[in-house]
Parts: sequence; structure tokens; C-alpha cells
Amino acid sequence: MDINVREADDGVAHVVLDGRFDIAGAQTADPIFSALASSSKALVVDLTKVSFIASLGVRTLMISAKTLIQRGADMAVCGANENVEKVLRSTGFDEIVQLYPDAASAADKLTSSLRAFESKKA
Amino acid sequence: MSDAGPQTRSRDFAGAIEGAMEAEAWLMSQSGDLGLAPDTEFAINLCLEELFLNAVQHGHAKRATISISTDSDGVRVEFVDDGGPFDPISAPAKRISGPTDDIEIGGFGTGLVQKFSRRLSYRRSGGYNRLLLEFGAARDADAGPEAQHTT
Repeated sequence: MDINVREADDGVAHVVLDGRFDIAGAQTADPIFSALASSSKALVVDLTKVSFIASLGVRTLMISAKTLIQRGADMAVCGANENVEKVLRSTGFDEIVQLYPDAASAADKLTSSLRAFESKKA
Repeated sequence: MSDAGPQTRSRDFAGAIEGAMEAEAWLMSQSGDLGLAPDTEFAINLCLEELFLNAVQHGHAKRATISISTDSDGVRVEFVDDGGPFDPISAPAKRISGPTDDIEIGGFGTGLVQKFSRRLSYRRSGGYNRLLLEFGAARDADAGPEAQHTT
């Protein structure tokens, strides 16, 4: 699985995943997500090009989400295909992180979370 | 398009994370020949990952054997491991309900296996867990050339 991280000017970090979020994918993703979860203020995870996910991949996302939320930061997930979304909803992942159809709507939501994060720190 | 007749593929794997990764790669390599529809391939891959991780991490299995058979009724997958007794049918289907819940490896696996397989049967015999899973139609062809998949 390829992972591309970029930080937009508004402070929202985007992580774009491409490939299979299987066991090998989760092993690649774990250290990257771990670093992002402890440093980002707002994280959009783009799953548009992810063709597969199972509970190990969900676990990677959930651990990051928990860390971000505990820090007062936030995460949004976008672009999940039908099967990937079914997995995310079956595990209850959508109870802690909101799912969006595309990166733009996810980033919009996080921009307002980011303002709240900054004002809390100020 | 491959021959529409019944087909079976079977292979042994080491009871380790590396074995589970090999099993996923093996499924991908067989999927085309078996004519698995994308949704069926996704469901089988998901169930195999969950069962394999459970067998290794909770059952301490040393070996696992996976057999995949296709015919006109659909796809059957048998997962056999030599780990401790574990019946995923009677195991609770865990679901997270908030950011403070514990996230344990394999904790969501049984719920996903129940959700993504059409039928599931378990028996313990001769020191082995034997799980038989059934999935929907093997191939796309029945749905017609206009069939579209979102994956």
C-alpha cells in the first residue's frame, strides 16, 4: 500500500492511501499513523483508492483516532468504497470518526475542528 | 474467462503473521483463475485475515490449511487450524461504541466474519478447528456484461 502525506496551508494534514489495507498494508501504515496521531492537529484519511480493509487496518485507524481525540485534535475519513465502508460501520469505527464522501467535505469539517483546537491552546 | 466447472485450491501455511500474509497473497494469486467476483474476493480475504489472526494470536496455531472450492452454487472456503478450540459462531461480535473502548487485535474479527459470510459452520475434530464458510456466486458473468462494481 502506498501512503502519501501532505500538510495543507490551513493546517489540516491529508494522508492518501492507495492499495490494500491488509496485514502488510497495516504494517506499512502503523508507524506513519502513529507519528501523525501524535503531531497532527487535524487529519483527513483518504481511502478513495483503498480496495481492501479488515480489522487490522481498522485497528490502525482506531488507535490513531483515539490518540488524536485524546489530544483534542480530530480525524475524518473519506472516500471509502461500499465494502470498506461496510467494514468501518460493522466495527463501530463510524461511532468515533465521521465518514465523508470526499476529501473536500472532510477537510471542511476539520477546518472548523482546527479552529477549536487552536482556541483551546490559546 | 476461465473454465466454469468446479475448481478447488488448497494450501498449508505456517501459524504466524507471515503465514497470514502469505495466505492473503495466495488468495490474490488464485482469485483470477477461480473467477471470484470482486465482492466475493473481498469477503473471503476479510474472513481469512480475521480467522488466521485469531488462530495465531489467540489459538497459538502452528499450521493452518485453506481450501477454496467454487461451483455453480457459490464459493466454499474451509479454514483448518491446529490451535486451541475456538468457535467464532458463538463468540460475541464486538463493536466499538466510543473512543474510550479497548481496541484489542482480533476483537472485531468474529463480527466481521459473521457479517461477510453467507453461512458459517464450525466443528472441532482430531485436535483441529474446522470452519466451513460459504459465500455468494463465484463469478461476475451471471450478472451480465453491464454489471458494475464500485471497487
